[in-house]
Amino acid sequence: MLYYIRLFLQYAITLLAALTINFILPRLAPGEPINAILPEDAIESMSENQLQRVLADYGLDLPIFEQYWNYITGIFSGDFGISVALGQPVWDSLIERLPWTLLLMGTALLISTIIGVSLGVISAWKRGNIADASITGIVLFIGSLPPFWLAMMLIVLFATNLGWLPAFGAYPIGVATGSMEWYTEVGKRLLMPAGALALVHGATVLLIARSSMLMSLDQDYIMFARAKGLPQRQIFFKHAFRNALLPLYTNVMMGIGGLIGGALVIETVFAYPGLGSLIVTGVSSRDYNLLQGIFVFATVSVIAANFLADLFYPLIDPRTRKGN
Amino acid sequence: MKKFINMLTVTIAMIALVASTASADKLAGIISAKDNKGPKTAKHLKLGIWNTAGNVTTYTIGNSWNDWMLWLVFDKLVEPSPYVGQAENWLATKIEQKSDDARVWEITLREGVKWHDGSEFTAEDVAFTFNYYREGPPNRWTHHASSVPRIEGVEILNKYKVRLTSVKPMPNFDKVTAADIPMIQKKQWENVKKPRQFKGLGIGTGPYILVDYKADEYYKFKANKNYWQGKPLVDELTLIMIKNPQTMFTALRTGEIDGAARSLPPELVKQWKSDPSIELAKAPSLWGVWLDINTGTKPFDNLELRQAISLAIDPEPMLKRIMLDMGKSGSTGWPHVDSFWTRPDAKVDYDPARAKTMLDKLGFVDKDGDGFREAADGSKINWDMVVATNRPLQIRAIEMVVKQLAEVGLKGTIRTLDPASFSGLWRSRKFDMRVADITPHGIADQDMLIILYKGDNKRALVKDKAKAEIVSRWLDADTREKRLKVSFELQDYQNKYPNRIMLWYPDGIFAYNWKAYDNYVSSAGYGIFHKYSFLPSKSREGTSESIQNKIDY
Repeated sequence: MLYYIRLFLQYAITLLAALTINFILPRLAPGEPINAILPEDAIESMSENQLQRVLADYGLDLPIFEQYWNYITGIFSGDFGISVALGQPVWDSLIERLPWTLLLMGTALLISTIIGVSLGVISAWKRGNIADASITGIVLFIGSLPPFWLAMMLIVLFATNLGWLPAFGAYPIGVATGSMEWYTEVGKRLLMPAGALALVHGATVLLIARSSMLMSLDQDYIMFARAKGLPQRQIFFKHAFRNALLPLYTNVMMGIGGLIGGALVIETVFAYPGLGSLIVTGVSSRDYNLLQGIFVFATVSVIAANFLADLFYPLIDPRTRKGN
Repeated sequence: MKKFINMLTVTIAMIALVASTASADKLAGIISAKDNKGPKTAKHLKLGIWNTAGNVTTYTIGNSWNDWMLWLVFDKLVEPSPYVGQAENWLATKIEQKSDDARVWEITLREGVKWHDGSEFTAEDVAFTFNYYREGPPNRWTHHASSVPRIEGVEILNKYKVRLTSVKPMPNFDKVTAADIPMIQKKQWENVKKPRQFKGLGIGTGPYILVDYKADEYYKFKANKNYWQGKPLVDELTLIMIKNPQTMFTALRTGEIDGAARSLPPELVKQWKSDPSIELAKAPSLWGVWLDINTGTKPFDNLELRQAISLAIDPEPMLKRIMLDMGKSGSTGWPHVDSFWTRPDAKVDYDPARAKTMLDKLGFVDKDGDGFREAADGSKINWDMVVATNRPLQIRAIEMVVKQLAEVGLKGTIRTLDPASFSGLWRSRKFDMRVADITPHGIADQDMLIILYKGDNKRALVKDKAKAEIVSRWLDADTREKRLKVSFELQDYQNKYPNRIMLWYPDGIFAYNWKAYDNYVSSAGYGIFHKYSFLPSKSREGTSESIQNKIDY
C-alpha cells in the first residue's frame, strides 16, 4: 500500500511542477498575444489603455500571479480561458480536436507498432543475413526522411498525380456525419497522414524491437533452450520474444502518452484538425491560454500513461514486484 | 497668383488620380493562357482560406488577410473601400457635409434594409455603431471614431437620419471613414461588455449569413435571399482553413476546393498559367513590402542619414529578381502607388554616389580600412536587420538590402525570427531595420496613414517637428482639396527622409476553378474573393468591371 501512496505523491508533485512549467514557458518566448489579436496598424491606432482593454477580454491584463491562480483553478473547473487565436473557449477547441488526434495518432501508433515490432524481431532473429540488412537499411532510410517532405511527397503522389486520396482534412465538410460516405471519407483522409506518421515512427519502434530482441537472444536461457533442443518457434515466442516485450511495452505506453500531443508537422501539412495543428496555431500566435490548455492535456496524459505503466509493470514482469 | 497655381495643381492632380485609379482597376484581368467562359452562378463554392476568423465579428477579424470574410456578412454606409476614393452609397443613400468646416455630416439611410434576423436597420444602429466604436471595447475600426477622426456628437434626427459631429474637420468622411466602418446591430451588441468572449454568430445586413463554423477548420455561409441589392449569385459558400500554401494549391488542382484565397507565389505563375482547369486573375492587392527603420534608436534619428540610406537602396532589381516583375517597385515611394490618396508622380531617388557623399559629410567614414564605415563617433556599425522566417521572399529582399548597403560602406547582419517573435518587434522596437508586409489598411487608408505618422513621432528618439507640423495641418484641413495637398506634402517629406522605405507593391494573383464559377471581379485591396464577386452586376459599382483583360508576364 505504501508503495502506491508514495507513487501517487511522486506523480502529484511531478504534475504540479509540469503545470507550472506549462504556464511559464509560453511567457518566456519573445512576442506577445496582442500581436495575434490585432495587426500592427490596429495596435498603432490604440492607446496603451485601449490595448489593456483588449487583453482584459482574455484575462491577460491581470498580474502574473493572478493569471497563474486562475490557470490552476481553471484546470479543476475545465475553464482554460478564451483562445486569442480562435476566439472561443480553449476547452471547446480541445474537445473538438481531441478525437481526431486520438484517431490519427492511435492508428499511426497501431500500424507502427505492428509493423515495427514484426520487422524488428524478424530482423533480430535473422541477424547478420541479407533480410536483416535490407529491413534495417530501408527502414532507417525512411525514418530519416523529414516528415513534412514525406507528407508533401505523399500528397503529390496520391492526391495530385494518382487522384486516389483527398489532399487535406479529416472529414468531408457538408456530408452528413455518421453516413457511410462520411465514414469512407474519414478513412480515406486518414490514410496519408497516419501512413506518414507510421513510417516515421515505425523506424524507431523497429530499432527498439530489434535491439531488445537481440539482447534477449544473447541471454544464457536462450542458449540453454537451444541446448535442450527446443523447437525454434518455442524459443522465439516463449523465451526470446516474451523477454523482449518489456522495453517495447515501455515504448508503447510512452507513445500513448504522446498521442495527446498530436503530430505538429503532419497535421499542419494535411490541414488535419488535431491537437498538433492547434499547438502550431498557439505557438505562432503566442496564445498563452490555448498552449496552457493543450499542455495540460498532454502533461496529464503522459503522466497518467507512465502511472499506468508503473502500476502494470509488476503484473507483466515478476522481477519488478516488491520484495524481488 | 501662387494660390491659383496651387489650386490648379491640386485640381489637375485629382483628375489624374481618378484616371490613374481607374486604370489601376482595369489592370486586373485573366493572365491564364486561355480565358475560358464558365458559369456565372453557382449552387455551392468551396474556397480555401488560411487565416482564422473566430465567429466572424469585428472583434475576431481585424486584419486585411481575411477582412473580406467580414464584408460577406456586414455592410458599410458607402462601399467598396476607403482605398480608391470612389466609394458609392451603400447602406446610406446620401451623406452630406453640413458645415463649412467639415465637422458636421448628415447620413440618410436606405429604407427597408433588414438585418439577418429580420429586424430593420435604422438610425439607432448607426448611432450605436459610432458610439460603440468610440467608447466601447476597442477594435481595428475604433480609430475611425475615437481618434482620426474623433467623433464628439452622434444625434438621431429620425428613423433614417443621423448627424455626426467631429472634433476636427473630416472632409473625407464620405470617402474614407464611412467606407471602412462596418455597421453592427444595436440589439446584438448593446449588452456585450467583452465582445471577444461573445459566442454568437455575427448578425449583419450583408449578402451572406454565417450558419455554421469551426474556428480554424471551416465557415459555412448561405446566401441572404432577401438582400437589398438582390439575391447573391452563389447560394452557399464554404470557406475551408488550409494553412499550408502547398496543400491549398494542391487542393485547388485536385478539385477539392474551387478557389484559393491567397495570392499565388510568383514562381508558380508561369507553370499555372497553362493549367486548363485553372484560371489566374490579377488584381490590385494594395499590399506592400517595406524596410522599416527604427527611428527610436541612434543613429536613425538623423534625417540625413535616413536620406542617405534611402538613396543607397534600389527597389527595381528586387521587383525583377524576387517578384519576377509581378508588381510595382517601391521607387514611387510611400504610400501605395495605386491608392487614390497618393501623388501620382511621386518618386524616390536611387543614387548611391550621392549617398556616399552624404555619409562622408555626416562623418560616417571607413577609418580602420575594413571596407565598412564607422559612425561619426568612431564606433563600429553593424546594424541588426530582422526578417520573419515564414517570408522567403522577404528574406531574399533583406539579403539584397544588406548587399546594397554594403556597396556604400554600411554593414548590416541579418537576423531571422519566428513569425510570433517578429510580430513582437512592432512594440518592443528591438531592431535597427526590418523587412515586413504592410496591409491595404495601413498603406492606402488616409485616416490610418495619419495614425501611423503620429505613432512614428511618438516613438522617435528625436521628435520630427517638421513632420508633426504637416500632420497638424492635415488634421486641420477642412476641404478634400486642402487635405490632398497636405497629403502630397507629407508624402514628399516622408520619401525624402523615410523611416519606411518601400521595396515593392506585389500584384495579387488569384487562382480559381473556372468550371465551378467564373464571374469574379477585382476590387483594390480585396483581390477577387469578396462579396462583390458574388453579387449581381448592378451591385458592382466601385469595383472594376468583370475580369477580362489579358496581361502577359
